[in-house]
Amino acid sequence: MNEVGLLDLVLEEEFTRDPNLVFLATNSPASLRRRFGSDRVRICAISEQAMTGMAVGAAMSGLRPIVDLNRASFAMLVMDQLVNHAGRMHYLSGGQYQVPMIVTSATRGRQQLGPQNEQCPYGIFMQTPGLAVVVPGSLRDACALLRGATRWPGPVLYFVAPELNRQRGLSAALAAAPLRFGEAAHLRHGDAATIVAIGGAVKVAADAADALAADGVHCDVLDPRTLVPLDTAALAASVRRTGRLVFVDDGPRSGAPAQILSRLLDEPGVAAATGGRIGFVCQPDVPVPSSPPLEEAMWPTEGRIRAEVQRVLGEPE
Amino acid sequence: MTMAVAPARSAGPAAPDPVAMFTSMVLIRVFEERMMELRTAGEVIGPVHPYVGQEAIAVGVCAAMAEVDSLVSHYRGHGHAIARGVDLDALTAELFGRAAGLCGGKAAALISDSRTNLLMSSGIVGAGVPVAAGAAMAAQVRGEPAVSVAFIGDGALGSGAVHETLTIAAVQRLPLVLVCEHNGYQAGNRTEEVYPEVSLLRLAEAHRVRAVGVDGNDVAAVAAAARDAVELARGGGGPTFIEARTYLTRFHLQFERPSSEVRPSDEMAAWRARDPIDTARQSPPLRDRLSDADVEAIWEQARERVERAVETARSSAWPAPEDAATHVWAEGS
Repeated sequence: MNEVGLLDLVLEEEFTRDPNLVFLATNSPASLRRRFGSDRVRICAISEQAMTGMAVGAAMSGLRPIVDLNRASFAMLVMDQLVNHAGRMHYLSGGQYQVPMIVTSATRGRQQLGPQNEQCPYGIFMQTPGLAVVVPGSLRDACALLRGATRWPGPVLYFVAPELNRQRGLSAALAAAPLRFGEAAHLRHGDAATIVAIGGAVKVAADAADALAADGVHCDVLDPRTLVPLDTAALAASVRRTGRLVFVDDGPRSGAPAQILSRLLDEPGVAAATGGRIGFVCQPDVPVPSSPPLEEAMWPTEGRIRAEVQRVLGEPE
Repeated sequence: MTMAVAPARSAGPAAPDPVAMFTSMVLIRVFEERMMELRTAGEVIGPVHPYVGQEAIAVGVCAAMAEVDSLVSHYRGHGHAIARGVDLDALTAELFGRAAGLCGGKAAALISDSRTNLLMSSGIVGAGVPVAAGAAMAAQVRGEPAVSVAFIGDGALGSGAVHETLTIAAVQRLPLVLVCEHNGYQAGNRTEEVYPEVSLLRLAEAHRVRAVGVDGNDVAAVAAAARDAVELARGGGGPTFIEARTYLTRFHLQFERPSSEVRPSDEMAAWRARDPIDTARQSPPLRDRLSDADVEAIWEQARERVERAVETARSSAWPAPEDAATHVWAEGS
């Protein structure tokens, strides 16, 4: 499936478990198609909105469809079906219909796909009620959250960073149990600052925290894993303790980081605890250019994260 | 693609009863006229898109459908719902925004009814077509002899989603019937102002979908065309596009006041002369079977039934304000 091949094996296991799973894409995994047949594993003409709309109707009729959009940029083509239909039919029908479906796509990698196809649009879907938003930060969580998505009662948008494919530990990842949505991973522990890292940026954030720890600056690192539902309680508890907050994301600052911040500021004690000591290491609010020297400015790096943590600590860089 | 050909068990209904279809058309007409009055009076909420003039299509198509079949409608959907057998009290209460409404007052006209497999009445033109295709796919995957029917207007052919779905439906031989109620207007535009040609059959044929034209004001003709299409789909024969020519003899839309929309008077007069209810009344089966007194009794019963629904809606409670936040997430989330 798109950029992370291990997920195909997860799907094969889940397809065996649940006969209601069907797969729709312009390019479906050959082994999945061989094993489960062309009725359940369909290849379609290049129409994201037809595939996604079909998934809505199939989900309302008792199946659990998975639509693989390939790149997250194609989510822009299906905003109507996702926002006006998938996310809203349970509400609009007064609870009569559920829409259990999964839409998968790959976010950004160091692939020079440029301004259109290098995107992390998950923040957009934090303001479209009814849609769960899943952004795994490790290969293991990618597998466990995909399994979790096949058990979620509503529509799920699953965004995976191609960078996760570089991680090791394939068999452990494949063996990971389904993960419940809404539970952040607490990856590093410390009282100096809270680093909230998302998706493909989780690893570099943890590496930066390790480097800071070697210098005696111990940070909490939390990966929300699902942006909707968001583990606000875990994030707020950390921020109340550390009093400093740094977001690290491959996506734009105005996307998920801004959304998460607004939720946290609603939590008692958070605004007072930070006192404005909040930082961002994200893609600036500009498209991602193709040329490597231009693209380089769009990535959170260990150096940038360390500098931002030092800044919110009020210490010289 | 392996084509799951449904078993030839007869899931379809018996040949439709002309009196039942006539009665259903009258009920829709009375209901629509009353809802417009009540919208003007401020009792019905939201926009009202009256179905007046097109009743033969909803009734003819739904007469061809079996219980297992699914239906996708749109914002002009009261007629489809009534023809499909949606509970009139719950429908009316929904249009009044009450807690006892089909969708608890959240939907107004954009209703769903799981009891009759009415999946949705989308407020987005054309968007219900892929959804209906998905319901058709579900039947195909499970080997169930169920057909999915979607109503659209001629305006929906402007939407890429419809064309894209037709391509996939043809290739995957989905048990899907698209019923295009071609009334010649797309909100305020006449279709010939915005389309390269007025016959829509060739658009469907270009996608290699079986296309059938029918007089949408002749309920018997619609029922026959729909029955062929539904049973073909049920037997694994793939999708059909039905173009039913018709006309809205009231208007597109009203809020607080009836629309001031102006139509050419000769055009309106010609279509009113072909009113689907009058046409059915004068057609051979009913001309012989129903006396004038019988017909008047059918109208009177419809008026009484609608008034009962209105009284029930009026006496229903409003939803509690906190219900605004229910049903965002499915149970188990």
